Formats: sequence, structure tokens, C-alpha cells
Amino acid sequence: MNKPDMKVTIGSLTLQNPVMTASGTFGYGEEYAHFFDLSRLGAIVVKGISLAPRVGNRPPRIMETASGMLNAVGLQNVGVKAFIEEKLPFLRNVGIPVIANIFGATVDEYVRVAQELCEAGGVSALEVNISCPNVKHGGLAFGADPRSAAEVTAAVKGVSSLPVMVKLTPNVTDIRVIASAVEDAGADALSLINTLLGMSIDIAGKRPALRNVTGGLSGPAIKPVALRMVWQAVRSVSIPVVGLGGIATARDALEFFMVGARAVQVGTANFINPRATLEIIEGIEQYLLGEGMTSIDNLIGALITVED
Amino acid sequence: MREILFDQQVQILSNRFFLPGHCLMVLRAPLSYGSACPGQFIMLILPGRSVPFLPRPFCIYGLAEEPECVRLEILYRVTGEGTDSLSRLHEGDKIGLLGPLGRGFDIDPAAQRVVLVAGGMGIAPLMRLAQAYRFLLRDKEFPIICYLGAAAESHLIGRDRMEALRADLRLSTDDGSTGHRGFITELFAQDLPSYRDSNTMIYACGPLPMLKTLAHCMIGSGLSCQVSLEERMACGVGACLGCVVALSGEAPGIRYGRVCTEGPVFSLSEIDWSVQDE
Ligand SMILES: Cc1cc2nc3c(=O)[nH]c(=O)nc-3n(C[C@H](O)[C@H](O)[C@H](O)COP(=O)(O)OP(=O)(O)OC[C@H]3O[C@@H](n4cnc5c(N)ncnc54)[C@H](O)[C@@H]3O)c2cc1C
Ligand SMILES: Cc1cc2nc3c(=O)[nH]c(=O)nc-3n(C[C@H](O)[C@H](O)[C@H](O)COP(=O)(O)O)c2cc1C
Ligand code: FES
Repeated sequence: MNKPDMKVTIGSLTLQNPVMTASGTFGYGEEYAHFFDLSRLGAIVVKGISLAPRVGNRPPRIMETASGMLNAVGLQNVGVKAFIEEKLPFLRNVGIPVIANIFGATVDEYVRVAQELCEAGGVSALEVNISCPNVKHGGLAFGADPRSAAEVTAAVKGVSSLPVMVKLTPNVTDIRVIASAVEDAGADALSLINTLLGMSIDIAGKRPALRNVTGGLSGPAIKPVALRMVWQAVRSVSIPVVGLGGIATARDALEFFMVGARAVQVGTANFINPRATLEIIEGIEQYLLGEGMTSIDNLIGALITVED
Repeated sequence: MREILFDQQVQILSNRFFLPGHCLMVLRAPLSYGSACPGQFIMLILPGRSVPFLPRPFCIYGLAEEPECVRLEILYRVTGEGTDSLSRLHEGDKIGLLGPLGRGFDIDPAAQRVVLVAGGMGIAPLMRLAQAYRFLLRDKEFPIICYLGAAAESHLIGRDRMEALRADLRLSTDDGSTGHRGFITELFAQDLPSYRDSNTMIYACGPLPMLKTLAHCMIGSGLSCQVSLEERMACGVGACLGCVVALSGEAPGIRYGRVCTEGPVFSLSEIDWSVQDE
């Protein structure tokens, strides 16, 4: 039997398969080139990029938790100029779409990073991380308030020649409200979820395990929450939704497709298995073959629910 | 680009306690490990996907090349869930192996004297370094002086093996059961001035307080020292930015280096010791 068609489209972006890497967990791609041919991925999403370089938080920055981890890296990154000069040339050569994850402390910072990346060439789409504190709004995350989420979306969309995917934070009361606000503001796609705010204590030292006290929880521990939110988002918007959060195996990814995700991202799982993305791609193909499905499209949104 | 291998099915050749709470594990590693540099480390990934979750980093204690594999030894202390699970594995079990990782020690072929300062488990990377020096400079006769400190005599790990490498041992124990009573850095500091007379390479590994004291001793000595550091890690390959240490430098503001890729071996003077917490 022929290989199933794994191609998906996210707005104007076409991916050879629906598996990407999640921002911040795959560096700038080069770090994982040892382990497999990166051109087999659907896309590479790079570490969050800001206008100026950021040194990040003081260590310790990470802590293992049950089936997951906390991180408070503090968005350390080389800044948009160095990204374009030093990191992008390698990524361009891989030959698959490169998605630049961007963030800022103000709407203006988001806009300027977006402009520079659109002009640089070699970037296929922007992923706008709206989990960051909005400096002008007392540090409340852009993504925690529908108005500021819409404001930053519209501003980035206004200057971008590239498709804009907005990455939502799960640290909100109702994800549907934010998803709709972002769609209305012009986003081409949504991705979710970012990490869940968490905490851990070193009881011997009676201190927080992370220097920053709180951190973002990721890994298999968050998958049920992520899946629920993706399911809710899919039902609230008509733009494509990219699902992530705790995906470590093909089975995990299949769950996200069934609730309607158009593509998935793999994050923390890369740390435990650097070839996780590849194994997930192969596992999805095998599942489709086994089910006699000719295309991934047959699977997306295939969830059967009984209404009563 | 140096090759990094990832194999989920590496065979454990042996795994045993040699002291309460301390184990030696031997793995059947691929042949390419023969070219791993002293000071490089590996990450072990336990089977299953929940507890413990992240890979665990360990130094390479010993390497022995055989016709079809490399016998890779790690020395570890059981301190938590991960190392406890490791200690329960048996000969023949399979484990995930990622490595060799990081930047190892610089070896100076012109060294006239090699000085090692080890605190507790800090002996692990230094043993491999001593082994490499004896092998690479096998036609030369030069002293290897090893300062070895531990809580008590029974915890002076690697003594016999160091002696077999013709190392001159200087011992200290916290309880005075053998050697100098007190810290190993005290012994080292006494001898330090005498190391200026010839080309001496100094290396250290041990708990953070020991390294901090060492950094203090070295100031003004005119000598440099390479240290192997530990920090919590997730990816081990430079991608997650989780394992950073503050670096010293002229420029204002903090600058961080990744222990997994820019280290684990740093020059003592590269590190900003003023911000290192215990
Ligand atoms: C480069 C490097 C080389 C190392 N070499 C050795 C060695 O040769 N022998 C040895 O006994 N130990 C070594 N360690 C320390 C070893 O990795 C930890 O003791 C081990 O990870 C503890 O795991 P655990 O689950 O038993 O402890 P837990 O405390 O339950 O671990 C919780 C989390 O903290 C991390 N962690 C705990 N202690 C340390 C530590 N000291 N350094 C880094 N992460 C830590 C764990 O990896 C895990 O993610 C090394 C660490 C690094 C970074
Ligand atoms: C170490 C680390 C760094 C991260 N950095 C970023 C980042 O820079 N930008 C971003 O949008 N998300 C970042 N994330 C969040 C992930 O992209 C992802 O949304 C989250 O980890 C959930 O997916 P997972 O469970 O598959 O890891 C980071 C996550 C981790 C663990
Ligand atoms: S452990 Fe991920 S960057 Fe060092």
C-alpha cells in the first residue's frame, strides 16, 4: 500500500507532514542535527526571539517533576539580529519551513521583531508567543487578556508578509475567549498550549527549587490539560489550530489530531528522546496505514462524541 | 561537529555497589566512544516514560576499548529517585545512552607535572584524565599528584586505581581517619606555591564549596586550573538553556554559559564565583 499523504496546510503554509518542534526545546535546530535528518520534519520552530538579546534568569532554571519539568529560562536568546546573521543560514539550508517564535515586552517590540524577520528572508511563518508579561499593563501576560491578545495580534499581522500563528497561554480562565479574540484580530492560525505556571520546593533547603520561584510546567504531565484546551479552541474558531503540550509518542499526537488539531508540536519529549519527532512522524504514518486512511486529513477532527 | 550518539538500547555489563550508597556501572558503549575526551559526560535515560523523567548526567570514569565495544564506566552516588532506579538495574538490562557530551579537559602534551584535586565523587572525570595522560604521554616520565578528599577513609574512592596510574596521593578526610584532617583544598593550598617551577597543569572536580575555596586559593598564584561543573540538565546538547552558570567577564551585566556544551569543563577564571550559591 502507498504511503499515506501527510501533507497539511496552515493558512498559506504547506508542511510535508504535521509534526514540528516546539519553541525553546529544539534550540536553533543545529543542536539536534546529530540525531536525524532534520529535513524530515514538518517544520522547525525556533527558540523565542526578542528585539535585543536577553541573558535570562539566574540558575537553577529547571526542575524535574512527576512526568514533566518546570523551567524558568527567562526567554534567554541571542536577539533578532544575531538570529538572522548566525542561526538562520543553517536553518535555511535544511530545506523545510522555519517558524520564528517571537516575543516582546511591548507591542512595539513585537512589531519590530516581526518586521526584521519578514525582511530577512528564509523564515516561513511567525509564531507569536503571547505568554509574556505586558510591561505597560503591570506585567499581566498579553495572552491573559483578550484585548491585549488582540492588540498584539493585529499589530504583528499589520506589518507581516508572513503567516502569523499566535501561541496561547493556558494560564487563563477561558481559552475560548482568547482564541476568538485572536482570530478576530486577524491571526492565520493558533498554537497551544504554552507551559502551565507551576512551582516546586526543595524541602531540605526550605527554598524554591527554581531561583525564579515559579516556572512553566511541560511534558506528559500537562497533556490532558493541553488536549482539552485544543479541543475547546478548535470548536471556537475556524482558523487552523496547532496542538502541543506533553506529546511524547505518536499515540499522543493522534489524540490531538482527533480533536481537530491541524498539526502538532513536540517539546520536552526531545530532551528524553532526541529522535522523538521522527518516531512520531513514522508512528502516525503507520497508524494511518493500519486504519486504511489515505491522508492525514481523514484523521483531523475524527473524534466521535455522543451527545445526549 | 563532534559526533553525539543516542542509543536507547545500551546493554549494562555490570552494576554494583562498591560502598554503601555508591555504585559502579559498566556499559557496553559503541566503539566511537574510544575517542571521547576526558571530562566529557554522558546522559543516561531510564526505560519507561514517567518516573524519573529527565535524563541523568554522569562523567565518564573509565573507558576500555575492546574489539567490538568500549567498556564505559560510570561511578555514581545514590542521592535521589533517578540514581536509586539506576542502582536497581542489573547486568543485561538495557538503558538509553546519549553522548559523549560537552567540552572536556585540555591536555597539554608539554605538561611536566599534572595536579588533580578531587572531592568525593569528583574523582570520576579526573581518573579518566589521569588515564589519558598516562596513555598519551606514555614515553614520558612525569608526576601526577592527586589530592583526594572525602568524609572518611572508606569513602576515598579510586585510591587503588590512582596508585596503579603511578599517582602520588595526598589524602584528607573530614574525620581524620586517614591523611590530613580537614579539607583537601587546605593540603593543596600548602603545596600550590611549589607548582610554579615547571609546566604544571591543574584540574579539579568536586562539590561547589570546594571549588569556590579553590578559586580563592588560585588568585594571585599565576597558575590556571580547569574545573568540571555540575548543573541540572534537561537536553544535554545546548538546546534548552536550562544548565547555565554565570561567567566572569569585563562587560557589565551577567553572562551565562551552558554547562552541557560550553562546559562541563571550564577554566576556573571563566566562572563568576561571587554569584555561585551552595
Ligand atoms: C556534567 C555532570 C556530570 C556528573 N557526573 C557525576 C558522576 O560522575 N557521578 C555522580 O554520582 N554524579 C554525577 N553528577 C550528578 C548527577 O547527575 C546527579 O547526582 C543525579 O542527576 C541525581 O539524580 P537523582 O534522580 O538521583 O537525584 P534527584 O535529586 O532526585 O534529582 C532531581 C533532579 O535534579 C537533578 N540533579 C540532582 N543533583 C544534581 C547534580 N549534582 N548535578 C546535576 N543535576 C542534579 C537530577 O538530574 C534531576 O533532574 C553529574 C552531574 C553533571 C551535570
Ligand atoms: C526549556 C523550555 C523553553 C521554552 N521556551 C519557549 C519559548 O522561548 N517560546 C515559547 O513560545 N515557548 C517556549 N517553551 C514552551 C514550549 O514550546 C511548549 O509550549 C511547552 O513546553 C509545552 O509543550 P511540551 O509539553 O511538548 O514541552 C519552552 C519550553 C521549555 C521546556
Ligand atoms: S542541558 Fe539543555 S542547554 Fe544544557
